[in-house]
Amino acid sequence: MTWDQVLELIKSILLTQTGIPNLAIGQVIMVLIAFFFLYLAVAKEYEPLLLVPIGFGIFLVNFPLAPLMGFSEHGNPELIRAFYKYGIEWEIIPCVIFLGLGAMTDFGPLIANPKTLIIGAGAQLGVFITYCGTLFFGFTLKEAASVGIIGGADGPTTIYLTAKLAPQLLGANALAAYSYMAMVPLIQPPIMRLMTTPEQRRIKMRQLRPVSAREKLFFPLIATILIIILIPAVAPLMGMFMFGNFMRECGVVKRLSDTAQNALMNIVTIFLGLSVGATMQADVFLSWKPMLIFGFGLLDFVICTFGGILTVHIMNLFLKEKMNPLIGSAGVSAVPMAARVSQVEGLKADPDNWLIMHAMGPNLAGVIGSASAAGMFIAMFM
Amino acid sequence: MTHTPHGFFKRAFWTWLIFVSVMLVMAPGTEVWAAFGEDLEKPRPEFTREGDVITAKLVPRAKSTSVLLRFLVSGGRLVDVEGMDFKDAVRPGMDNKDFKSELFVIKIDNVSPGGEAQISVTSNFFTSSTQYWVFNEKSKEPWMNGEVQNISLPDLVQQLVVSVKDGGPFDSDGAADGRITLVGGPKDSFWGYALGTLFIRFFGIFLVLGILMIGMILSGKVFQMFDKKKATLEKESQLQPEAPTSDIQPVETVGSELATAVGVALHLYFSASRPEVITHIFTPAISPWLRQGRERVMNARFIPTNRANRLQNR
Repeated sequence: MTWDQVLELIKSILLTQTGIPNLAIGQVIMVLIAFFFLYLAVAKEYEPLLLVPIGFGIFLVNFPLAPLMGFSEHGNPELIRAFYKYGIEWEIIPCVIFLGLGAMTDFGPLIANPKTLIIGAGAQLGVFITYCGTLFFGFTLKEAASVGIIGGADGPTTIYLTAKLAPQLLGANALAAYSYMAMVPLIQPPIMRLMTTPEQRRIKMRQLRPVSAREKLFFPLIATILIIILIPAVAPLMGMFMFGNFMRECGVVKRLSDTAQNALMNIVTIFLGLSVGATMQADVFLSWKPMLIFGFGLLDFVICTFGGILTVHIMNLFLKEKMNPLIGSAGVSAVPMAARVSQVEGLKADPDNWLIMHAMGPNLAGVIGSASAAGMFIAMFM
Repeated sequence: MTHTPHGFFKRAFWTWLIFVSVMLVMAPGTEVWAAFGEDLEKPRPEFTREGDVITAKLVPRAKSTSVLLRFLVSGGRLVDVEGMDFKDAVRPGMDNKDFKSELFVIKIDNVSPGGEAQISVTSNFFTSSTQYWVFNEKSKEPWMNGEVQNISLPDLVQQLVVSVKDGGPFDSDGAADGRITLVGGPKDSFWGYALGTLFIRFFGIFLVLGILMIGMILSGKVFQMFDKKKATLEKESQLQPEAPTSDIQPVETVGSELATAVGVALHLYFSASRPEVITHIFTPAISPWLRQGRERVMNARFIPTNRANRLQNR
């Protein structure tokens, strides 16, 4: 072998088998973005359970020639592509997460005060207004729907709907949804104060009635029947949610309920985070659309908060026992952060006013409301 | 839960807000955005022919499932139907979003020269407000409303019937030669559909959750009634004097012989399995010389197991 041949071989290896000559500036930017999210997650403990896998997913897939998100020569998906394909494209992971959420949820406050369901519906206002707003900016109908659902403040629902309607926006939508969910304590209070008077913030609500175990047991069955008959498209999400809750409330499958709440939830969160992060490759993510999505996502949260509080004001016109409008902001799902914000704002107005349990009602209604909104959008495009 | 100081979030939030506002302000207008990247929703029809009918199967804009459009002609022979990209017919004021499907080029022959042919397009995808717009680039106004007859058929199927005159304004070849070429497509108002959907779906959520609320209120009443009844029954049963019950529980008695036999058996079993206990050990008196020797031996054994010593030794 001559020296020239050796040099040629080295050159060929460098060009075709290493990432250095294939590294693009966009990929470097994405790696920096990944570092930023990892920093937020690790140093600032900012939604670490999701931002660590998402951040690491972004980090991993932005190396040139890395066999992670492509397909092999035989058409088999590479590692993270396989997680994405079977977990998200097949719509399995969001539904499994809903199973875990159902197993974690105590519907007691909602059952004790079913009127709060209407607040959960009112808080979807932003979803539909953002849907229209994004259309003005040239998003397609499906993309607009997937961006609109960010305001529902429900990560798995956002991922489920986006994967179904606009998978090209999955990374941006999921990141916007989770980022703003973490920012709920900052986004909501100014709007809450703007939309309520000090007297309204001091309204004390009657203590919720006790809910029997039997009533809690029957709730998932009744809710499943009514919701799935009216919106069949939401059956995968709502079915799993209510199944998880039934396991919790029936009390005879504690092991299964425990697995759904903990081990299973943790496992799917890892794959969900990695897969979502992995969709954020430089060539897809570095454009105006994701930036606009972040803008509209914020607007969406603001309008949803506004919608929830407005709904309480309207309901108060007809109710004998007035509700504290601060619980309206909890109508965006973001469980239990949004309910906690209502509690904090209530305490600021009156240190003796405990709103947390009252706010949990609209908070849970928000979960059902955002899943219903997703079902409505899916049905629209069927 | 997060332990992040509130100030950090506040700074991050405001920075983000400013960034996002700048992005929104700088965002280009709708027309530019319409051309953003690849048209992901571009319908790509597949055509099949069965006798005189040509069927197009396509996933239209804003749908996830495919629809069928059936083309039939009277007053001529349907030669072919082809898809046509909208970009070839882009004109100011006409938005491709209003066309949920691709444009179609319909070719007809055997028309009496200068005569008229009726083209019908049938689908359950159309609504009663669907129009059929015709494109003729030779015309002064290239886009024209086809003035279709929109006929409602059973099973929510709509039929659009367009009348085209050979050599007339809708005929793209422009000649009265017994052949007609019609370019166009079904059109629905994009914004009408989007806004209509907005209201219907939003109030749909109120309806669904309202029904759920009514169901829960009713079921809550029923459960509360059951619980009340149960509580009343429990209260009543507590008030009633309890039936006298014997304090002494019946005990199964065992004969004395059997009890002795069981006791002996247990004793023998446990005696057999008990390890032999050394009750007496001969311990000679230990002299100081012997004790010192033992200590030396034990310390020597201890050295390898003592990490600190080992290191010291090295």
